[in-house]
Amino acid sequence: MPQSPRPTIPLRQFGRADAQVSVLGFGGHHLGEAPDEKTAVEIVHQAVDGGITFFDNCWEYRRGKTEIWMGAGLKGLRDKVFLMTKACPHGRDADLALSMLEESLRRLQTDHLDLWQVHGMAFDNDPELFIRPKGAAEALEKAKKEGKVRFVGFTGHHHAKVHLAMLQTGFPFDAVQMPLNAFDANFKSFERQVLPELNKRGIAALGMKPLNGHGEAIKNGVVTAEEALRYAMSLPVATTITGIDSLEVLHQNLQIAQNFRPFSELEMQELRDRCQQDAADGRYELYKLSLKFDNPEARLAHDFPLDTQQSEVKDMLGAQQNTGHPFPEKQF
Amino acid sequence: MTDAFEWDRRKFIKTAAILGASPLVSGGTMAQQQSNSSEPELSGRVPRKPFGRTGIEVSAMALGGYHLGSAETDLAANEIVAKAIDYGINFFDNAWEYHDGLSEERLGKALKGKRNQVIVMTKVCTHGREKKTAMRMLEESLRRLQTDHLDVWQIHEVVYENDPDLIFAQNGAAEALLAAKQQGKVRFIGFTGHKDPEIHLRMLSHDFPFDTIQMPLNCCDATFRSFETQVLPEANRRGMAALGMKSLGGSGELVKFGAVTAEQGLRYAMSLPVATTISGIDNMQVLDQNLRVAVNFRPLDAFEMQSLRDHCRPTAADGHLELFKMTTKYDGKIGREQHHFPTAEQLPL
Repeated sequence: MPQSPRPTIPLRQFGRADAQVSVLGFGGHHLGEAPDEKTAVEIVHQAVDGGITFFDNCWEYRRGKTEIWMGAGLKGLRDKVFLMTKACPHGRDADLALSMLEESLRRLQTDHLDLWQVHGMAFDNDPELFIRPKGAAEALEKAKKEGKVRFVGFTGHHHAKVHLAMLQTGFPFDAVQMPLNAFDANFKSFERQVLPELNKRGIAALGMKPLNGHGEAIKNGVVTAEEALRYAMSLPVATTITGIDSLEVLHQNLQIAQNFRPFSELEMQELRDRCQQDAADGRYELYKLSLKFDNPEARLAHDFPLDTQQSEVKDMLGAQQNTGHPFPEKQF
Repeated sequence: MTDAFEWDRRKFIKTAAILGASPLVSGGTMAQQQSNSSEPELSGRVPRKPFGRTGIEVSAMALGGYHLGSAETDLAANEIVAKAIDYGINFFDNAWEYHDGLSEERLGKALKGKRNQVIVMTKVCTHGREKKTAMRMLEESLRRLQTDHLDVWQIHEVVYENDPDLIFAQNGAAEALLAAKQQGKVRFIGFTGHKDPEIHLRMLSHDFPFDTIQMPLNCCDATFRSFETQVLPEANRRGMAALGMKSLGGSGELVKFGAVTAEQGLRYAMSLPVATTISGIDNMQVLDQNLRVAVNFRPLDAFEMQSLRDHCRPTAADGHLELFKMTTKYDGKIGREQHHFPTAEQLPL
């Protein structure tokens, strides 16, 4: 391989759209776990330098902190990247989603997004609430028409059936995000049930949770981080979003992405088989079985009980006031 | 199981004024009215129904064993059981793992001298482990229940995706059920689970000679990941005794959130084609409330059933009233351990 002075990450086509993104995407949630804004800004700078162009975020992550930090990090670099964030109506009205968009744009210090997605399609009635009159579908349509966002999509990690029901609403999505890893391939699988449908429709598929959320299977020695990331990136997806909370993790991921060579089908199957036994009861994919990975905003909107031990709930309950529509921004 | 989240949630919802009142608020007021003590004295007995193809009959309402362990004292548990029998309840549920054996011990004491009047069921909690573990649990259950045989022995909490494979593996729990039946230690065998109709159907796909099958049945289940529409007809077709549970959502969620009254919820569940509806009862007030429904039981007609399903459909649709399907909250400690899942403290929802 020719050694270039500045290593880059391979780019892939963004579905049928006229855009390309880096095969590794920068997950916004973990950025909030950086010790301070200065570190977060440095992580973002080095990520752009290293060739990552796809940046993920979400209105409800850490009550706005991750958008604010990413906005600061991308100052002056906005045109070099493909910026995505998500709205969190969780079944509520288009107006609420649009007010979240304005807030996200302000926090991210930009006048437009490359991709705007509806966050966390988790519950069986989310698709019908999305497509109903005045539902979030109207917000996506409006934002795109007004040029505030180039592309629209949705995300979720619970149930492949909910994803398929979203596709059945007939809404013209440009992108769909879902968990993709070698465990998923064996258990309530998005890879087998949703991914082929997206490829068929020319919708950009975005993989997430390549390391199962928090690297549980890696800690237990079932797979290595490199195997896990390479597996996810070798699937027919536009990008694989992975959480980055430190320079150390960034450097490890850049190394893997810059030297990325797809697995052969044989190697893919070998890894699926190795994970099969541990995948069988879902112990490494708790996001499909519990509400642990759901944001409190979604639980509130759907009347689910809150887990008061979860850090984001503590964050929310500690806020001085909660009006709920949407939650007021907390100052950091 | 105490419910710290419930309290926090309510407090927070109140502050945040999220979503506003449920469209089904009328249920809540009726439930409150029910607790008024001006009710006439109960008379009559809980009606009986055929127990699948077994030839025996059981009361249309059964006493859930978990809550017997939650009753304040041994004496309170004793009185609940005695009064239940007085009013015709003859089916008693339990499980090896409930309250580390306390539920079985209490039922054993309460049934002293009455064993032959009742149908005793308990459940084995291998959660994937092998036959010999199951047989050891059976001996323990028999000892705690102070009896030499069970009427019904079921595999408990089949809720993990790979449970059917583990149960039917060579030397698995399915073999224990057959052995126990052959040895005359149990009369009928079955399994239970609260998670996913597909897991139940996978259990049935083995064409194993189950006599009984237990599942959540309530008016929200009717339209959400439904055991009623997917599993119950199959159980009926096979002549199995179908046992309903979680008629009010597991901890009364259907009533607390105002979806239905306790009476509506219980009558709905009992009107389905089941042998019995198992209801958890940990104090005399709840027992009286349930006996009133069961003793005066008149099945809902098809139109009334459909009205309740339609009424519950919007709130049932995301599963927040059936947390046992949607979260890990109702998954027991031993099952989590065997499947290497985090504890309830680490993973409460």
